[in-house]
Amino acid sequence: MYLDALTLRHFRNYDSLSVTFSPGLNILLGENAQGKTNLLEAIYVLALARSHRTHNDHELIEWGADSAEVTGRVVKSSGTVPLALTLTKKGKKATVNHLEQPRLSSYLGQLNVVLFAPEDLNLVKGAPSARRRFVDMEFGQMSPKYLYNLTQYRAILRQRNKYLRQLHYHQAHDLVYLDVLSDQLAGFGAEIIHTRQVLLDRMMVFADHLHGEITQGKEKLTFRYVLPNELADAHTAQDLYQALLALYKKLRDREIDQSVTLAGPHRDDVTFITNGKDVSAFGSQGQQRTTALSVKLAEIELMKEQTGEYPLLLLDDVLSELDTVRQTHLLATFQSKVQTFLTTTDLSGVAEDIVHDPRIMTIADGQLTVTAPGAGHADSE
Amino acid sequence: MLQYPEPIAKLIDSYMKLPGIGEKTATRLAFFTLDMPQDDVDDFAQNLHDAKTKLHFCSICGNITDQDPCVICSDPTRDQSRILVVEQPKDIMALERMNEYHGLYHVLHGVLSPTTGKGPEDINIKSLLTRLQQHAEVKEVIIATNATPEGESTAMYLARLIKPAGIKVTRLAYGLAVGSDIEYADAMTLIKAVEGRQEM
Ligand SMILES: Nc1ncnc2c1ncn2[C@@H]1O[C@H](COP(=O)(O)OP(=O)(O)O)[C@@H](O)[C@H]1O
Ligand SMILES: [Mg+2]
Ligand SMILES: [Zn+2]
Repeated sequence: MYLDALTLRHFRNYDSLSVTFSPGLNILLGENAQGKTNLLEAIYVLALARSHRTHNDHELIEWGADSAEVTGRVVKSSGTVPLALTLTKKGKKATVNHLEQPRLSSYLGQLNVVLFAPEDLNLVKGAPSARRRFVDMEFGQMSPKYLYNLTQYRAILRQRNKYLRQLHYHQAHDLVYLDVLSDQLAGFGAEIIHTRQVLLDRMMVFADHLHGEITQGKEKLTFRYVLPNELADAHTAQDLYQALLALYKKLRDREIDQSVTLAGPHRDDVTFITNGKDVSAFGSQGQQRTTALSVKLAEIELMKEQTGEYPLLLLDDVLSELDTVRQTHLLATFQSKVQTFLTTTDLSGVAEDIVHDPRIMTIADGQLTVTAPGAGHADSE
Repeated sequence: MLQYPEPIAKLIDSYMKLPGIGEKTATRLAFFTLDMPQDDVDDFAQNLHDAKTKLHFCSICGNITDQDPCVICSDPTRDQSRILVVEQPKDIMALERMNEYHGLYHVLHGVLSPTTGKGPEDINIKSLLTRLQQHAEVKEVIIATNATPEGESTAMYLARLIKPAGIKVTRLAYGLAVGSDIEYADAMTLIKAVEGRQEM
């Protein structure tokens, strides 16, 4: 799939913008603080109805305006789909084909993106919560059911943590209700863990292949899904459900004591292993970056496998972070298949021999000018 | 600054207490009221007052009523062997409109939700259990709480309390809206409908 056209109204520092893109490589060129990331963010928001850098939708609305609009036209093998998202201070409204969508789960999946920003280079080494967020965002785009399980799980988790606290302070006493919450949580939790394990296994195959290419066959990359020992032998969703139920029973007193749910997918982690060693503990910074890159690129292939379409690739200021070999890989591997957007302050940072006729857009203070139209561009139709 | 005379200022204030009504709408409604015939205004005031003072909750089922027990609970022709449990009185209105269910009801007045301070003692569960103890003729409890995580917990909780007494507990099915196109159903509805499929 690719994004053919994008229109912004009152989004960040774009008062009004209407632009068309190349199905291939799109370069957003400009000094710092001009609106390059804001434009990538707009594409991300159009895909996921939320930003990658703020939880607060207000921040996306241009200062002084009441609402922001992001509209786009997505071209897929099945046809062209117009998407529109309106963000107001009270909430958001999403339409697909001009029909308003009552739920997020019916909107997501229309436009899929994979974003690679400088902070993603920390994917391997950063906090477990960053890896969980990564997994949830990606799998949520591929599977509405995963997204549904996740929202249900989070809602029940909030209730359960609150109830544990009430039990702890003797404001509540009913353990049957706690059992019910544990049962519900175990049900959705088992589904989430199972899907993560299945999709991570698939992703690992792609990641190992790419990693081998990037390291010229020197490194073998594997993933391990880290969860409590009590769940290690459970392999089906049903087994996981039973094991989680038993674990909640076992942890009950500790959970009440600490007023918090101590097991479930919200506590799990993923470890990346190259040549038998945990990269976060034993890898050099370079190895950690290469691993992050392999994982991100694998996501593109996994999305293609799961949804039948390649996602968009959004690269924010990452080229300068990578050496030429890795740059070449990033751009060469996907250039004919995946619509790519990359931001840079300087074209000399882009390995020029590998990019075919990109569309180059210069951005200054929320204004965009096309400096090179690029190949196969919609304008020429 | 010019102020409205006190009676109209107070009326605007009252309208603003209603949900979804801001100062602008309240002002418009207040001036509209001034133009209404005296009789209509008197009725309006009387109805507001009566709704609050004459209506109360049925001591058996918790529905809103102007007599106790309510018309449903005091109707001997209704099927006494089934109780359908809902979250709110307005759910009963929706179910009665279909004119297919002829059993009894029970209103919980909420769902279990610790984050909003609603535990098992805070909703109308105890009176349901007492009802079941006193009326051995009840053979089935149908739970019609909403399809939210909290509605689901409440249903599971009730099932755990009631089933050991040998009473059948059922839950409303989820599915596609009748007359709707599968193509336009959202993912969540479809997932639930597939899970709840039935053999033909
Ligand atoms: N809600 C907003 N309204 C108007 N301008 C904004 C808003 N949010 C951020 N900005 C401006 O956007 C600019 C940053 O744009 P960004 O895309 O992050 O820069 P870069 O080109 O370096 O990626 C800053 O000048 C900031 O003041
Ligand atoms: Mg930037
Ligand atoms: Zn009654």
